[in-house]
Amino acid sequence: MSTKIEVQNLKKSYGSNEVLKGLDLIVKDNEVVVMIGPSGSGKSTFLRTLNKLEEPTAGKIIIDGHDLNDPRVNMNQVREKIGMVFQHFNLFNNLTVGENVMLSPVELGKMSKADAELEARELLKEVGLEDKFNAKPQSLSGGQKQRVAIARTLAMKPDMILFDEPTSALDPEMVGDVLAVMKKLAKAGMTMIVVTHEMGFAKEVADRVIFMADGHIMEEGKPEEIFGNPQNERTQEFLNKILNV
Amino acid sequence: MAKIKKTLLSIVFSIVILFGWSVFNSNNVNADEKVYEIGTDVTFPPFEFANDQNQYVGIDMDIIRTIAKNEGFKVKIKPVGFNAAVQALDAGQLDGVIAGTTITDERKQKMDFSAPYFKTGVVMAVGQNSSIKNFQDLKGKRVAIKTGTAAGDYAKSIQKKYGFKTVTFDDSNNVYNDVTTGNSVACFEDQPVMQYAIKTGAKLKIVTKPANGGAYGFSVKKGHNQELLKKFDAGLKKIKSNGQYKKIVAKYLGASAVASQKAHKTQNTFISLWKQNQGALLGGLEQTVILTVLSIFFATIFGIFFGMLGVVPNKFANGVSTTVIYIFRGLPLLVLALFIYTGVPNLLGEKIPAFVAGIITLTLNEGAYTAAFVKGGIEAVDGGQMEAARSLGLPYGKAMRRVILPQGLKIMVPSFINQFIITLKDTSILSIIGILELTQTGKIIIARNLEGFKIWTMVALIYLVIITLLTWLSKWVERRMKG
Repeated sequence: MSTKIEVQNLKKSYGSNEVLKGLDLIVKDNEVVVMIGPSGSGKSTFLRTLNKLEEPTAGKIIIDGHDLNDPRVNMNQVREKIGMVFQHFNLFNNLTVGENVMLSPVELGKMSKADAELEARELLKEVGLEDKFNAKPQSLSGGQKQRVAIARTLAMKPDMILFDEPTSALDPEMVGDVLAVMKKLAKAGMTMIVVTHEMGFAKEVADRVIFMADGHIMEEGKPEEIFGNPQNERTQEFLNKILNV
Repeated sequence: MAKIKKTLLSIVFSIVILFGWSVFNSNNVNADEKVYEIGTDVTFPPFEFANDQNQYVGIDMDIIRTIAKNEGFKVKIKPVGFNAAVQALDAGQLDGVIAGTTITDERKQKMDFSAPYFKTGVVMAVGQNSSIKNFQDLKGKRVAIKTGTAAGDYAKSIQKKYGFKTVTFDDSNNVYNDVTTGNSVACFEDQPVMQYAIKTGAKLKIVTKPANGGAYGFSVKKGHNQELLKKFDAGLKKIKSNGQYKKIVAKYLGASAVASQKAHKTQNTFISLWKQNQGALLGGLEQTVILTVLSIFFATIFGIFFGMLGVVPNKFANGVSTTVIYIFRGLPLLVLALFIYTGVPNLLGEKIPAFVAGIITLTLNEGAYTAAFVKGGIEAVDGGQMEAARSLGLPYGKAMRRVILPQGLKIMVPSFINQFIITLKDTSILSIIGILELTQTGKIIIARNLEGFKIWTMVALIYLVIITLLTWLSKWVERRMKG
């Protein structure tokens, strides 16, 4: 397995408020990494530095051998290979569902409009929404929107996908559909980093679970290690709160 | 980014073409045959006023045209108003001014005068039933005068001594009206002008002897156009000796001339006034529409460009946008128009046609407002939209064009419609620099026939009709965009 993502001593501050206090992480090809931790611990910020939606303050990020600090690296091309799924879906409101999925492959010259449409219909079918091709995003439920967002990301044929709390804004009965799509992706070998509070998903799908708190990685390991026998006091405290409600 | 550069280029090109066109135009005329642009008042009968066909006639007009014909040069008359004419002369926008200008030492600082061509003095006139007989009776009362005139200066010079207040107007018609309506008790005006106005219908009477005797002269900017001045002096001598001068004066001040003017005045129902002035008013409307369409076009480009500069991730561009919006939204339109028309030629040494100055004025002012709501509209689009687009690998420009702008435009549509209507109305302010649009046309017609209420009603109705049409058009476009 080759290295997909390598992060060294990553720091991020907003003014005097340091949110990431020096993170190190290596993610291998086909690996599914789930990040858990209390809110405000820096999980989302960390995820957003990986495709430079946030500019890191210090440290090194190497994606597929491209050092993001290198000014010669074309960030747009790097982003094509890293998909991202957002908590609030962020579907393009001015476009139909189909156009949302087709937009970037066509705009970036990856495929013809006709091919992109075939591909989009195929992807929508995979997430169970083939009948919504001409619908406007406003007419969809949250769960449907998030599945469209995943299809939109897949249309760029990414090597890895970052999930930023993909089910947090959903009604409980919608969560299952979205998680099912994500499991399917994981089984197909997609490299994924998932920030989530869905512990069941973490236990079932994750190759590795990372616990973050206060801008640090406190503990990491296989799901059975983290959930079964957490070593760090903060991890124990957090899991106690979450699992025994 | 490439898109933005293209837009910038196209704006620069348009400006270059506009300026180039105006320069080329004036050079072209110069090479052919010298045409002198002569400024005059909007209304100063019997020296200058528009006749039924909206052509400028009067003693001054006939004198300058006769002299030009005799001496072999061409003139173009620009009825911009006395004050504007004097300013435009100083700015080099005009070659000469003939507007019943009294020769004074103060004016000689800025202008060179011809030999005097008409002797005059200042008189005071009051309402027909007024009991005011002399300056002493004015104590504590209000007196109407016209801005920048020698008669006005005279009134101000004795104001303290006799203890009256003054109110100033831009044209004579408003001065007379202020007295007949009783807002002011008296007005000061040059004797022949006053006499003519009373004979042709102003309900006033002259109560004083001509004072502060002076004379009218043709003027050029000090040290400039000396050749024109010499030609005028030579021509004036000639028409005085060959009898043409006498004929001209008799034509306007003789008994028969005045009678015919009076006869014209009787037919003044709304319908007949409309029939008489239809051509002129529709001509004014045409200018207003052309000004509006061109200004909306350029202001929209200007506004979108500077609005976009305000949202791109570049601190310098943001600063430029904020500054441009701050300056041009902050300046009153009137000041901006006068500054561009009279100020810019002073700085560049190059004339700007009033029409071009007008378009530039509206482009800057309306464009700044447009930029402000374009910026606001884009900022109102949820930030997640841009993040999602960028995360898919779309470059900033493509994300802006395909995702953000279409959503922002929808937010902006009502503001655009509003701005179009405001632009249409604001063209009326350009009458200040003498553009013959609808409002200026109305002013000129009223100067001739003193039918203020009826003509302004017509002008107002015309504005309402085209604003209604513009609103319908905008709503139609809005519906199309939504569909």
